[in-house]
Amino acid sequence: MSLLSRRDFIKRTLAAGVASGLVLSGLGKAAEGATITPRGTFYDLTKCDGCKGLKVPRCVSACREENSFKFPKPAEHIEYYWPQKKKEDWQDKKDLTTRLTPYNWTFVQHVQVKHNGRTVDVFIPRRCMHCDNPPCANLCPFGAQGKTPEGPVIINPNLCLGGAKCRDVCPWGIPARQAGVGLYMKLAPRYVGGGVMYKCDLCYHRVKEGKIPACVEACPRGAIAFGDKEEMRALAWKRAREIGGYVYGDKENGGTSTFYVSPVPFELIHEQLLAQKKKQPNPTAPGFPGMPVGVGNFLDSVNGIAGALLVAPLAGTFAAGYAAYRTMKGEEDHGG
Amino acid sequence: MADKILVRENKVRRHNVSVLFVHWAVAISTILLIFSGFGQMPMYRRYMVYKIPGLGWSADFSVTLYMHYVAAAVLMFAVAYHIVFHVLRKEYGILPRKGDLKESYMIIKAMLTGGKEPPSDKFLAEQRLAYAYIGFWLLVIIVTGIIKVLKNLPGINFTGNTMIWVTDIHTFATFMLIFGILAHLAAFLFKANRPLLRGMFTGKVDLEYVKHRHPLWYDRMVKKQAKSPDSRERAANLPQDMTV
Repeated sequence: MSLLSRRDFIKRTLAAGVASGLVLSGLGKAAEGATITPRGTFYDLTKCDGCKGLKVPRCVSACREENSFKFPKPAEHIEYYWPQKKKEDWQDKKDLTTRLTPYNWTFVQHVQVKHNGRTVDVFIPRRCMHCDNPPCANLCPFGAQGKTPEGPVIINPNLCLGGAKCRDVCPWGIPARQAGVGLYMKLAPRYVGGGVMYKCDLCYHRVKEGKIPACVEACPRGAIAFGDKEEMRALAWKRAREIGGYVYGDKENGGTSTFYVSPVPFELIHEQLLAQKKKQPNPTAPGFPGMPVGVGNFLDSVNGIAGALLVAPLAGTFAAGYAAYRTMKGEEDHGG
Repeated sequence: MADKILVRENKVRRHNVSVLFVHWAVAISTILLIFSGFGQMPMYRRYMVYKIPGLGWSADFSVTLYMHYVAAAVLMFAVAYHIVFHVLRKEYGILPRKGDLKESYMIIKAMLTGGKEPPSDKFLAEQRLAYAYIGFWLLVIIVTGIIKVLKNLPGINFTGNTMIWVTDIHTFATFMLIFGILAHLAAFLFKANRPLLRGMFTGKVDLEYVKHRHPLWYDRMVKKQAKSPDSRERAANLPQDMTV
């Protein structure tokens, strides 16, 4: 692991201090979940073969079946997003399993990578990475997303207005939008809101009951492991050492709870994925994520000035003390 | 007290530099916060604001979020400054008093009908109420905003419904504040209030206006200045800038 930079150290120290203060003061409800350990996933890409011979990989069909009760049920008539002449409606493409949609929360990408003189086939199951400090959840203007103590980042479909900001700030553009459903339909569907965002919730209903996600259970080759996050992280690094491979998801976006291990560098995988994305029917559309190595967290830049922000009231206090002293003294001098 | 009758100028010093600084720092940072906050909603791409020349950056969340943080720092600096400054100087004239609701009604009625207003102190009753209203929502916004900033730091996750409440109170308070700001600006539709507008830029208002509209304040200043005729004389001879 790379050494902690001084900036990171200060940030984490500040965060830890503030967090413990909040927990002590009773504000941080996280204290209640102290006994719940975060879960993680480990994808061994040396084992996944995309369920060769099957039309749809097992993890994908298991996910669709398990979560179908959460899928959107949009209204018959869906308005455009005024003043624009568009809407994101996936009803007619419910069966699509080759990209992320509101009805397809995981899919398997396939790339061929030339590495060390040989061509390697890599199959990569893709879905939400469930980040440690998820910008999607943190920046949701309505608090419709949150990170659970177990690790999954989940969207509340009853609160989401479908602004799709979560997708914009996600380095992989994971959440997918379906129009004609959710809270905005009860407000002013033509003028405000755009639907509800959908993505993998790591089968949270199962995880809460102590079960494993449907995709993990369905994998016929044991390519997906699920369990205590730290164990998964350790497992991933161990496997990477064994095969002289590479880990993805440990550092990306400031850390996630999904760890991929591949026999080839992820830079090469990312390159191939970008090339494939260019060939998609709509190359600029999200739903076909790349794997940018070491991608930063959207919140990094503002978190860099958070300290200054929290010091501002203190500075104001000192400045006022000084000014009040000066002016009062001044008034005395003038006898006023 | 900074308040002083400036006889030679025929004016009254109503606000010192600190008050002017706080007012404008709060006003400008609040406008920036509202604009950048709406950018976080997100609104500017959806409603094509970013297509307006010069506003291309408005749909970029990273730009508006950074702006939100910087403006929030200015606002919190100014608010902390304001509270500490006036507490140290024991200046509480702008806090609401008993009977302010009724008095506000009488003032507004008088302005509308051309009748006689009740005598006012340095601040009109509705100014005191407006101050409490805007101040209250600003504090709510600041407290919830601080929690939102903390939540963005790595290592801090509020689970359960905490963030729903915090986020939605922050948004609701913003709308209440906007309503307050509109009412605050609407006050200048009344001609009677306009002399106060200039005071917010220069710190001074006309002596005649004060005599007529703020007799309670005027009487107090006269008494205070009469107590020390020395200083009054001295003040009259001093250059204007030094009559603090």
